[in-house]
Amino acid sequence: MANLNLTLKVWRQENAQAQGRIETYKATNIPDEASFLEMLDIVNEGLVHEGKEPIHFDHDCREGICGMCSLTINGVPHGGKHVTTCQLHMRQFKDGDTIWIEPFRAKAFPLLRDLMVDRTALDNIIAAGGFVDIRTGSAPNANNVPIRKKTADAAFDAAACIGCGACVASCKNSSAMLFTSAKAAHLNLLPQGQPEKNKRVLAMVQQMDALGFGNCTNQYECEAACPKGITVDNIAKLNRDYMIACASEAVGVYS
Amino acid sequence: MNDIITTACKFVTSSIGRKILVALTGMCLLLFLVGHLAGNMTIFGGLSPEGGTSWIDSYATGLHSMPAWLLWAIRLGLLAILLVHVGLTLILKYENYTARTHYQMEGTLKATLASRTMVLTGVMIFAFLGFHLWQLTFNGDPHDCYHHILAAFQNPWCSAFYIVAICCLFMHVRHGVQSIFQTLGLNTRKIRPLYNIIAILFGVVVCGLFISIPVCVLTGILH
Repeated sequence: MANLNLTLKVWRQENAQAQGRIETYKATNIPDEASFLEMLDIVNEGLVHEGKEPIHFDHDCREGICGMCSLTINGVPHGGKHVTTCQLHMRQFKDGDTIWIEPFRAKAFPLLRDLMVDRTALDNIIAAGGFVDIRTGSAPNANNVPIRKKTADAAFDAAACIGCGACVASCKNSSAMLFTSAKAAHLNLLPQGQPEKNKRVLAMVQQMDALGFGNCTNQYECEAACPKGITVDNIAKLNRDYMIACASEAVGVYS
Repeated sequence: MNDIITTACKFVTSSIGRKILVALTGMCLLLFLVGHLAGNMTIFGGLSPEGGTSWIDSYATGLHSMPAWLLWAIRLGLLAILLVHVGLTLILKYENYTARTHYQMEGTLKATLASRTMVLTGVMIFAFLGFHLWQLTFNGDPHDCYHHILAAFQNPWCSAFYIVAICCLFMHVRHGVQSIFQTLGLNTRKIRPLYNIIAILFGVVVCGLFISIPVCVLTGILH
């Protein structure tokens, strides 16, 4: 097992108001089977040992399902390997590499400290309509609710979104369209989501716009950066559903 | 009625609604481009040998023999479409700019150069459009269109500007055409490569044919 010696360029910022800056750290003797966050843990242990403030970063489950870890690595959220930062391993890097580590950046994601940002804006989009109001009961028996296999698959793929915000951080316009469209599509595709479909689409889009996210320019950076493989087909569906919702509301067609 | 107005207001102020308007006006401008190109191609009819009117002259006089109200309705309609397209895009772009905080180390995964320079190429096309209208529409004589175009393109600077502007148009159209399908919700993972091919083919054919005119004038094929 080869151990790596790396140079880290890390964004440090004491609090939301402070002026941030890039600081350089040496990460020495990093085992290549360590995850990216474990590498930062090793660096932090060294910093604590020297009596310095460790680098603050978000993390929770460390198994790629909670969506808490972030980090923009060399300009790409989660490092661009289709996994979350916690699942990114140091074997992806070479000995002597310089790695730039920055927070997920967007005006809608205010920075809290160092590499931690506040992603409450995404929760606010969910709160606007990403739910089903009525009680749908516990999981139904298989085949009790008729639904086409391909539709169920599409809904499941959209539901794989863990809400990490990499789509927003990678977008050249800081647009939250991939997140919003995945959350809307996941319910809009299923029978349980049908009664509130138009209301949901209008409310979620309105909330997304109000929170100060940018507008999608169809560059598909989000899809490339997404650790869960959410496709921009969901964005096309949201555009389609939005047109239908507006038209239905305007002329009073209620389905 | 109230519902229609409130929904329409919400639509034209929302991100998706404005993007759809940009896509629809862009589609109209693409159709204009095709029509304009078809008209331009009459220049290859050349001068008639008996000293009669050339194809492009009869095309130009034909356009001008339209009733004045119709001609101006089309012109003002096109201008309105163009202004909606440009105006909304600039507003959306400004919002995008303010929504973003920049990275010290910028990374790009798959955004094409064309998609990242849409505003730049758009402004270039807009500037060219002003010059193009001034040179050929407002200072041209429809009865001697052929010689007027020939004289214009025999100036290498004029031809060079035209070719650069059309190259910008290619970049703009290359992203724009496939973007229309996505914004109008007609895109899926399966059909996306086809839209990409359509966008590139459309750009190559339309822009290639536009560029063929100054190239043929400069090389003496049209004289």
